[in-house]
Amino acid sequence: MKELEDFLTGRIWLRDFTPFAPESVEQAIHDGFIAVRPGIMESLQCARCLNRSKNNIVSFNCAKCEGVCHYCRHCIRMGRVSSCTDLITWKEPHAITPYSHSFIWNGELTDLQQQASNELKQSLRRNEPHLVYAVCGAGKTELLFPPLHGALSEGKRICIAAPRTDVVLELSPRLKAVFPDTIIHTLYGGSPAEAGFAQLVLATTHQLYRFEQAFDLMIVDEADAFPYSYDPALAGAVKKSLKANAPVVYVSATPSKELMGSIANQSKIFRRFHGHPLPVPVFQSLWNYRKSFHSNKIPAKLDEWVKQRLAKEQPFMLFFPTIEMIGMAESLFQSIDPRIRAVHSKDPDRKEKVMALRNREIPGILTSTILERGVTIENVQVAIVGADEAIFEASALIQMAGRSGRSSAFPDGEVVFFHNGISRQMDKARDLIKFYNREGFK
Amino acid sequence: MDREETICASCRDAFEPVNGGCRICGAAGDGLCAECSRWETTAFSGAIDSGKCLYAYNAAMMDYFHQFKFLQDVILAEVFAEEMANALKKSAAAIVPIPMNSAKLKIRTFSQVDSMLDAAGVSYFHLLIKNEEVQGEKTREERMSTRELFTLNGKEVPKKIMLVDDMYTTGTTIRLAAQLLREAGAEEVKFVALIRA
Repeated sequence: MKELEDFLTGRIWLRDFTPFAPESVEQAIHDGFIAVRPGIMESLQCARCLNRSKNNIVSFNCAKCEGVCHYCRHCIRMGRVSSCTDLITWKEPHAITPYSHSFIWNGELTDLQQQASNELKQSLRRNEPHLVYAVCGAGKTELLFPPLHGALSEGKRICIAAPRTDVVLELSPRLKAVFPDTIIHTLYGGSPAEAGFAQLVLATTHQLYRFEQAFDLMIVDEADAFPYSYDPALAGAVKKSLKANAPVVYVSATPSKELMGSIANQSKIFRRFHGHPLPVPVFQSLWNYRKSFHSNKIPAKLDEWVKQRLAKEQPFMLFFPTIEMIGMAESLFQSIDPRIRAVHSKDPDRKEKVMALRNREIPGILTSTILERGVTIENVQVAIVGADEAIFEASALIQMAGRSGRSSAFPDGEVVFFHNGISRQMDKARDLIKFYNREGFK
Repeated sequence: MDREETICASCRDAFEPVNGGCRICGAAGDGLCAECSRWETTAFSGAIDSGKCLYAYNAAMMDYFHQFKFLQDVILAEVFAEEMANALKKSAAAIVPIPMNSAKLKIRTFSQVDSMLDAAGVSYFHLLIKNEEVQGEKTREERMSTRELFTLNGKEVPKKIMLVDDMYTTGTTIRLAAQLLREAGAEEVKFVALIRA
């Protein structure tokens, strides 16, 4: 019973797919602890992900309920929700006894980090939303530690959500090390079940569909990243997972105008933790690069850039606009150096390849935008092939450029935007980076 | 219908049509395939007059089938509606789906074969009842001995029958159904399956 309560508190879950015996769920329903409701509301809205578009809520003749039934295609990968599936929630709120959580961290915040950290604490004291607008490599995660510790010790249930699994997996060990006696669950598609009531939940934004009125505080990391920026339902999921009046903290290096305009409390950090300016991208024309790859040739300037990196033994990341182009380029680059590897979002060996680059086992990696954020590789040099392609918005370009010069040992990386004509987004990205460097060193 | 296309053109291009070969199961190659040749040496010889599988079980089809059958995305029945209709429209035979076990049907909430036929606008009727559903775990020999997999539902069995199934793997299911229908008076039994696994 305790296990069932720990699991289900704040969650909205498929009755038939809990990690518990059907009898114990049955008993808890009978005893009035668990509420049951249909998966699709009468208004034809999904009760889990709240989608209600005609493209996603579709009807069929159901053999189970023997009639016309609706199901939701939007969140179907989490187990199909239909009119005749039951969703369950735990009725009673969970009382968290406040106590001082262990906090093991002996790092130091820079003055700018410290100021942002204090400002965030003040917003939380007033239960108000806050935006931490900080450049790539400013040390955003660290400045969250003191306010997180305060909120945990006050007995608040907290979620840190990020759009990408890679980012969640990167955060998880760091937070577990800093808060060793706090129960922390890490949730993403296919994550293993964890025991206990988690006072701190790290989750991909998708996983929030499975929560309802669960959290007293939400931190949305990388709020500008795909798919969060692309799918408005994910913002709905954040809202649904919060208790009434619980504040949201957004953390981003590239917040949208809407986000900046909607939140009064903001902290800005335009200087990296190591005190060096952000590398400014260099524009380099690469005319007809598509045609070149199609005729199995690496464009001359790009060929030269890669050979220079190899000669200087500098690790490099080469970003491409499409998986198709990565496929064409992979064997071409491997004929320069057979150790060069390619990754994309569907590559199951992605983590291993990034690790190999970090450990200097491979000299460079060809990648899609999947590695635009959450990746830190010492002394990495960055080039973007086709920086003018529509898929590369200014925020993505800034993030990719932000991979370079992250460590204090090698603060000056090279960033090249190879293009077939300068786009507005390229200009915008470079102007913003220059602006950060001006503001950060005033 | 007031909705977008079910799948996009590039996903559609990833499916690989089968233009076989084997007179009985449609596998690639010349003449009768090795599996069907072996079947023809057993008691099931002649159970099937001819058959056709529409697509190979490649990576795209595996994704499709997973989402359709196991994630229960019923509207994906529409994806091959036209192909199913084309494969069946010339047939003068009675179209008979391979059924699901009724308990299993309640759990899955839909029969993938019936939904595909509904989407194709093809009229069909059931003659068979499926008694159990543990096919996957059995060896070929065990499957061969499973004569009671199907029983007749009592309706009159026509002379010409076109069986329809989602997937042809070993060919056991379709032969058990065909044999039973022949014993009940069918003189010609053909089949169409969406996938040749």
